[in-house]
Amino acid sequence: MHPGSDTPVWAEGVCAGLHAAGSRHVVYVPDNPLSLVLKVLQDAYPQVQATIATREEEAFGMAAGLYLGGARPTVMLQSSGLGNSLNALTSLLVPYQIPALVIISMRGDAGEWNAAQVPMGQAVRSICAAIGLPAVTIDHAGEAAATVELVGRTAFGTRQAGACLLPRQLTALPAVRAGRP
Amino acid sequence: MTRLDATRVVVRQAGDEPIIASLGHPAYDLFAAGDRPANFYTWGSMGLASSIGLGLAMAQPGRRVFALDGDGSLLMNLGSLATMAWVRPPNLVLVVLDNESYATTGGQDTATTHGADLAAAARAMGIPGSLTVRTPAELERALAVRKAGPRVVVAKVAESAPVAKPPLDCVFIKQRFMAAIGCPESATTGEDS
Repeated sequence: MHPGSDTPVWAEGVCAGLHAAGSRHVVYVPDNPLSLVLKVLQDAYPQVQATIATREEEAFGMAAGLYLGGARPTVMLQSSGLGNSLNALTSLLVPYQIPALVIISMRGDAGEWNAAQVPMGQAVRSICAAIGLPAVTIDHAGEAAATVELVGRTAFGTRQAGACLLPRQLTALPAVRAGRP
Repeated sequence: MTRLDATRVVVRQAGDEPIIASLGHPAYDLFAAGDRPANFYTWGSMGLASSIGLGLAMAQPGRRVFALDGDGSLLMNLGSLATMAWVRPPNLVLVVLDNESYATTGGQDTATTHGADLAAAARAMGIPGSLTVRTPAELERALAVRKAGPRVVVAKVAESAPVAKPPLDCVFIKQRFMAAIGCPESATTGEDS
């Protein structure tokens, strides 16, 4: 967090990175950490259109349509929604070589308090590897902007979706870090 | 009205504009009704034709975008109607080819056989004017209306055995489609992306 600002550096970095990668459309299913990203987009990136989807698979379908129309889409979701996305990823984005920049807010990793979030959270990296979705973990707030931009440029350049994982140790609010859910 | 009859009406109304087809029989009939570069045939991702159409309509507000869905497919992604109503793209036309059957998988009943009304669902989600048509002339009239959308037209159709299948190469379908609608993929143009 910058002095005098309530906005965490990682959230500002995600926005700067996706913008620098040329993305002007974000389709998302919200979660708590991602709400901070959405706030930055709303305040500082009015040229980026953020659209909510009812379900993660729908978000990937919309992203595919955006790409077909010449846009560079970003999809944001919580890791629990990766399961809801798999058919879209494996039968649309991967075989048609339709890229998207994917931002995944992690649950179920260190700092988790809800057992129901753990199995999917622990499986995210294996699932990404199994379906051919490259995934990079952002461990330090200061690297968020550069990593998101690079993953986005690689995705759109190689026509292969690429994911940035945001672990809870990066995104958790101070109250959560202190052990209060 | 068979599904192929209805699909021919959509192709005629679409002119040069893009058509996104749901997998299986809707895509097969779109190919049979008239293969054209601005056809995007899906080979998987059941339920997402309307979502792909919505994203395309957002990226290309100057084009009239058609999505050809099936009743079984739309039932898999009803939330898409709510998102369409919220985003309100004036240029999106969703045509649901409702044969009251999962015809591609062997003809099992869908819920529309047993009372589910997809046009009413679209209206309830906030897309006024969504309607059901039963003849080619009614479908033609519904699509000829150019008022701002999104528009949802449910065409009650009889199953007709598909006679052809579209190209199988997904990347070919995509690149041909993007070039046809004026967004050639940078990887095909020799420019840096």
